[in-house]
Amino acid sequence: MSTILADHLISCLIAVPFLGIALLVLAKSDEWARRIALLATFAALGVAITALLSFDPGQSGMQFVERAEWMPTFNIQYAVGLDGISMLLVLLTALLSPICVLASWKSIDSKVKAYMALILLVEGAMIVVFTALDLFLFFMLWEVTMIPMYFMIVIWGGPGRIAAGIKFVLYSLTGSLLLLVGILGLYLEGGRTFDILALSGQTFSDDVQFWIFLALLLGFGIKLPMIPFHSWLPDAHSEAPTAGSVILAGVLLKLGGYGFLRICLPILPDASVVFAPLMVWLSVGAILYGACLALAQTDLKRLVAYSSISHMGFVTLGIFAFNEQGVQGAILQMFNHGITTAALFLAVGQLYDRTHSRSVDDYGGLHKQMPRFAVALSFFSVASFGLPGTANFIGEFLVLVGASYTSFARVLLAMLGIVLAAAYMLWMLQRVVLGKALTRAAAALPDLSTREMATLVPLAIIIFVVGVYPGLLMELMDASVINLVEQARVGLPADMAALD
Amino acid sequence: MTVFALIPLLPLLGFFVIAFGGNRLGEVSHRIGIPAVGLSAALSFVAFYYVAVAGPISIPLYTLIDVGAVSVAVDLYIDQLTVLLLLLVTVGSFVVHVYSSSYMIGDPRYRRFFAVIGLFTFAMVLLVMSNNLLVTYMCWEVMGICSYLLISHWAHRESAAKAATKAFLVNAVADVGLGFGVIFTLATYGTLNIQEILAAVPSMAGSDINLLGWLGFEWLIERNTLITFCLLSGALGKSAQFPLHIWLPFAMEAPTPISALIHAATMVNAGPFLLARMSPLVLSAPSAMAVIAIVGMTTAVYGGLVALTQSDIKKSLAYSTISHIGFMIFACGVGAFVAAIFHLLAHGFLKGFLFLSTGNALESASAHGHAKSSGRVSGSLAAGALLLALIPAVVIFSGPYEQMWTAHQTPAAQVAFFFLALATVFLTGMYIFRAVSSLFGHQVGNSGVLPNLFAPAYLAGVGVLVAAVGCLLVFVWTWFAAFLGPALGAQPPLAAGPAFSPWLVAALLAAVAGWGFARQFQPSPTFAGAWTKMAYVALLNRLYVDEIFDAFVVGPFIRFCDWLQGTIETLGLDNLIQTTARVVMVLSNWLWTVLEVRGLDRGLGGGADSSVALSRWLWRVVDLRGDAMVEGLGRASDENGEMLQRIEPRTLQHHLLVVVFWLMLAIALSYWLIL
Repeated sequence: MSTILADHLISCLIAVPFLGIALLVLAKSDEWARRIALLATFAALGVAITALLSFDPGQSGMQFVERAEWMPTFNIQYAVGLDGISMLLVLLTALLSPICVLASWKSIDSKVKAYMALILLVEGAMIVVFTALDLFLFFMLWEVTMIPMYFMIVIWGGPGRIAAGIKFVLYSLTGSLLLLVGILGLYLEGGRTFDILALSGQTFSDDVQFWIFLALLLGFGIKLPMIPFHSWLPDAHSEAPTAGSVILAGVLLKLGGYGFLRICLPILPDASVVFAPLMVWLSVGAILYGACLALAQTDLKRLVAYSSISHMGFVTLGIFAFNEQGVQGAILQMFNHGITTAALFLAVGQLYDRTHSRSVDDYGGLHKQMPRFAVALSFFSVASFGLPGTANFIGEFLVLVGASYTSFARVLLAMLGIVLAAAYMLWMLQRVVLGKALTRAAAALPDLSTREMATLVPLAIIIFVVGVYPGLLMELMDASVINLVEQARVGLPADMAALD
Repeated sequence: MTVFALIPLLPLLGFFVIAFGGNRLGEVSHRIGIPAVGLSAALSFVAFYYVAVAGPISIPLYTLIDVGAVSVAVDLYIDQLTVLLLLLVTVGSFVVHVYSSSYMIGDPRYRRFFAVIGLFTFAMVLLVMSNNLLVTYMCWEVMGICSYLLISHWAHRESAAKAATKAFLVNAVADVGLGFGVIFTLATYGTLNIQEILAAVPSMAGSDINLLGWLGFEWLIERNTLITFCLLSGALGKSAQFPLHIWLPFAMEAPTPISALIHAATMVNAGPFLLARMSPLVLSAPSAMAVIAIVGMTTAVYGGLVALTQSDIKKSLAYSTISHIGFMIFACGVGAFVAAIFHLLAHGFLKGFLFLSTGNALESASAHGHAKSSGRVSGSLAAGALLLALIPAVVIFSGPYEQMWTAHQTPAAQVAFFFLALATVFLTGMYIFRAVSSLFGHQVGNSGVLPNLFAPAYLAGVGVLVAAVGCLLVFVWTWFAAFLGPALGAQPPLAAGPAFSPWLVAALLAAVAGWGFARQFQPSPTFAGAWTKMAYVALLNRLYVDEIFDAFVVGPFIRFCDWLQGTIETLGLDNLIQTTARVVMVLSNWLWTVLEVRGLDRGLGGGADSSVALSRWLWRVVDLRGDAMVEGLGRASDENGEMLQRIEPRTLQHHLLVVVFWLMLAIALSYWLIL
């Protein structure tokens, strides 16, 4: 048993959620379905932590690699492996899944079994995407992540769920179609292989790189989302049930950033450099545009959704800085955003469970009725705009430092985005938490239960601990990032490559 | 030595214990807060002694960030400047802790209050001890959020909630500058270690950066100057300098002990402290210094004037604080860092004391009273006042005070010193006359509390007291300039000048002039003319700075965001997507009508019909031949045909079409892939 676990660590990690789904079939009641799902997600978290403990941060390449022929005709493999970058995202996925199950413990009371199965399915698929070393595997499971999300939105969602679901699927499909085109292009140009590591070692001509990058850019950009492809996100977020929003914001958006890191930078370094100015300005645009729109929202979930767009701008800003600070900052920002935004959606969901309203105007004075909730919401709000002492500050700082090597103007503009973030978050707090209760319903709300606290407290602890000791995570990815940056810097012109 | 790391850590520990100690701590939270801060104050005294004897201490703690060439270490550095500020912060915080333990009794958020001031004390202490610009910035922000939490302490008040948000946001705007400064410093010096930066300042002199390079223009500015401007930007917010002072008066929504600690004695002094900490850098940027001096001067004058007109005593005190900090910033701007820090400490302790002494009683009292005058003042009193008025002139021009101003030997500081000193002497002359006349010039009124204060003997007593304080100050100043000077990179003190200088004569004359002026023009409570009234109203409304910000910055921006949401996002992007979807729908409908209904429908329908006909023909053949097997086949195919007709043709045909399409695509794709 122990050797199986040791030799096939990633396969075990992938298998756990799917085994959970199989077990769910046997569940007799809703209560059992919840318990089985929780057990499966915790088991996956356990395996992920095992992987973390046996992970060697000093090594820059892939670890725990497993390869098996899958479709030899097309040279398709089942190949998985972990490096520092994917380790972090796998951890994030494994961490958020039990929280999703806990968050939907009471709020989902119809078709519980199916709901839990979808959570597990999305978890399993995400883990495969983050560990895949084969582009076909990557693409296939990338597609799979979309399906559970769609059903979560259209079955358990809010009043506008159908439209939101269709919008989500249409956008995602367009993105994945282009992604497929890009991947097939790589396959054909790269000597009929889907192997990411093998492709990273090859050099493609500038033209080929350009077109493939363009296709991938749209594929990843829609997922991330970058402006102007973001308009599915606020709808999907606001209509999805809490766990759906958490998965969407927490992990699914990171697929885009991960795609850029895993595929675009190492395989298409020259095109990455060509597109970098566009990407950077789109990022800065997203930071400011998302923040401005968040300021205009009165729907809590939409507010958090637009703040996501703004924060994901930092991710691309860091990635396309092509230096260690920027890339590490971007990965850290992905992790932090995953946790903070997940927590914010959890908190909003907890309010929604009580009153079935997402409007800022229906609340007020919650500090009195729900002191625990007020503390939690305030903490995650200030974390969201990157208050020092939270992990988000470190991420944003590193991204800004990375970006400052090429342009100070962008740094200054991005920093304005942080001010706007402070503005919409604090304004929201002022209207929701401070002041007096505006409606009678808001004046008699019960405070968070132990189960609800259990979903928020671990996230708060992580945000704080990483904020004061970021080395915990950064040491994990240091070697991998150095390796990645070296690969990406191939594309940089000589005078820029000298900068460090 | 490492024990001094406890100075910031003890309040932090206190914060954690109180914050996570649960509700049972309740109103005994101060029993954790007071010892923690008290101990750290005691340690500060030890550190003070240590530094006075053995010079600066540096304590490395841990590495916060280490990515590539960027390394940020949390190091403590304790020098003369740090210990002086440490004393102010820890002692101030300790006093406020003790005071609040009774002041806040009965408050439902007692525990939260003590937790947050613990956290604040930690942040401020770490700020003054930090040897890394990023850590300084982090503490700077944490102080801001503590201030936010404490302003919104009585959160049920709408005004408190607004004031808290306003305070944090105004600071956030200013901190963009500071944060940018941190990043720019890192890019310039390659390190954020403050001592290393200060040592490298001369090597960066003359290094320029093009501010408008990204637009294709050229506007060169020295890197050191830009960094200094960034530091100033931080100071504008945190230290409430014009025009970003607008948050401080509203911050008076906080409980009074907080107004004393954070919004008078400690946090708001972070700006002058930062400038003093980075003094070698500031001194290398003369043009930035000029701006700093102008900002400080403007704020000092503005704050002072507005303070006179405010009717809420806490707001009045707030504007007076703004004015004093403006004065410190001004002193930094002319290069008189030693004087600025002295003023900072003196003001911190005094203003803290003032706030605490106002306490409950003055919460709603009006300070809107003019000094009452009783007409003519008797000759002996006037003479006494003149004598008193002469003392400050002698004290100020005796040497040590001048030395504090000129420790860095910047020409601007010299000029500023003489100008300010003469103005101070003149104004003190006025004030003393007015004070004496209003205190001692009254007839014995209905007040039975102060029956014997009107005798000239008391005036003499006051004179002696003032002289004694003056002597003490001269002594303190001498010591202060010698103690603090080295930490700020000041020059060794000048040789003692002649005891008698023309400036002393000028100062004495100024004092007499002030005294004479006050005697000649006694103030009247009624407005003399229209313009004074206008000025009064304008100042009462704080020169409408808040309203200007609301009308020209905040309001338009919110409207801009709403416009983005309404026009660009909904009408533009969303509409674009929906129109695309609609066009696709129309197109598919058309395809369906043309291809399926008209073309395929008929074809397939015809196919089904003919298959039915075929079956019938088969059946006839079978019937003739009587072959059972073929009959069965014919029946089956007949049933098939009828079933085909029974199923709604459109659906079926649609499916068929889709299947055919995908098949063709798959074939094409596999050809393309394989060939």
